[in-house]
Amino acid sequence: MFFIPGFVIAALTFPGVIIHETGHLFFCRLFKLQVYDVCFFRFGNPAGYVIHEKTDNFRALFFVSMGPFFANTLLCVVFCTAAFLPVWELKVTDPLAYFFYWLGLSIGMHAFPSTADLSNMWELAPEKAKRGNVLAILSLPLVAILYVLNFARFFWADLWYGIGVGVLAPIALFRALAR
Amino acid sequence: MESGQASEYVSLKDNTICLRCGKDNGASDFPLVGDKPFCYSCGELITNWPYPKWLKVSLACLLVLLLVALVHGRKYFRAGRAMYKGERLVQQGDYTNALPYLQETLRIAPGSDKAVLLLSKAALLTGIVAIAQQALQGHGGGHFENADSESFREVDALWTRAINALEKIDKASKIANEDGKAAEAARLMHEAVAAYPEMPGLAAAAEVFDEGTAFEQKDYDTFLAITMKEWKQHPGSETAAAVASALACKYAVTGDAQYRVQANEMLGRSHELVAGNPEAETRFEEYSERIEYRLKSRQIISTPEYNRRFRNNLAGKG
Repeated sequence: MFFIPGFVIAALTFPGVIIHETGHLFFCRLFKLQVYDVCFFRFGNPAGYVIHEKTDNFRALFFVSMGPFFANTLLCVVFCTAAFLPVWELKVTDPLAYFFYWLGLSIGMHAFPSTADLSNMWELAPEKAKRGNVLAILSLPLVAILYVLNFARFFWADLWYGIGVGVLAPIALFRALAR
Repeated sequence: MESGQASEYVSLKDNTICLRCGKDNGASDFPLVGDKPFCYSCGELITNWPYPKWLKVSLACLLVLLLVALVHGRKYFRAGRAMYKGERLVQQGDYTNALPYLQETLRIAPGSDKAVLLLSKAALLTGIVAIAQQALQGHGGGHFENADSESFREVDALWTRAINALEKIDKASKIANEDGKAAEAARLMHEAVAAYPEMPGLAAAAEVFDEGTAFEQKDYDTFLAITMKEWKQHPGSETAAAVASALACKYAVTGDAQYRVQANEMLGRSHELVAGNPEAETRFEEYSERIEYRLKSRQIISTPEYNRRFRNNLAGKG
């Protein structure tokens, strides 16, 4: 496993960082949470952040924390789907397709919620789950998996996630369409 | 407290200082947002954090890019969909129906190893070597990224099998015109059928070569049986003439007039079937002359021999 400084990765995949933080901000605004500071991109750790008020509303917390995960994943699928066939299957030398693939992978790579986001959910979810909050119950295994994957970032889990989504989703999509 | 200095409650939260920017409002408190003090501008900001202009423009660009990606990718979606359909049909063994899908893919993506290999496989298993040859040679002169892949090795084996069969067919066709080589030609044709049974019409062609062997070995019953079978399966001027030729042989060796009558009937049918086709008429004139000679003279001679005797050194097939 080779080491590449985080700021280099962030610089190479900056669209993903911006979209991730925009996702946080969008859901904060949607659920009317106070936002104290926003950084869409910077050369530092973290590469971007949204500082918002704490909330007991699990639904709000879930979407603010997990929203970017779903949004980045979806955009990754869309862009990679547009580029998957020419790049991987058809072997067409199309610069635009390569650009879309880079964009898709950059966005997919930054889908994972931060450890802080996951910690917030992990604190609130068990109590809400006990009270029968379905979203909290469903989010527990997801948060657990993402927690582990977050630590596996050292082993490029975020990149593998982006590639996995950007390759497997289009394959599944096209195979289903070919039926 | 009963003794000591009088105590005073001091709030740790100073509502005169903005929690976000630290602005001091002097003696007056800032309004609370939630339960926290913020100056007017910060209060406005935290409750409705604006999207920066550059972000709005970027997101608009992203949407445009998304549209471009989808519109630009349309032809690839079509090609990809056709490829997956073709692949599925190949997996189901429906090679004939897979061909048009895979050909559509290659029109857009001639460099796709996967599509070329799938098309070649489907074409070779349908017996259409020309399509496979065009696809393989049009793909970087037949070079592939991974020559160790299972799909490549499979197509390579099919290709080798088809080429070997074609070489045998070519050799058989060349020697079939030579005197005394009919049996060898038929053997080569049968080897070709065994090597490449997928080629349509090859087995039938081998049977035509068997006619030559039977003629050469003077086995006129077999000759007649084969030509009759061919005539039933593919009624045409040439198969009718082949039956006439076999009946003429039977007449020549038995002298049974029935065979002569039947031979003339079949020759008549053959003539009827060439009507309006100048090329077929020319061929009819060539073989009808030989068959009529056989019926008149009751002598069975091969085409080369007939040509030597009556056609000033013309060569031809028996």
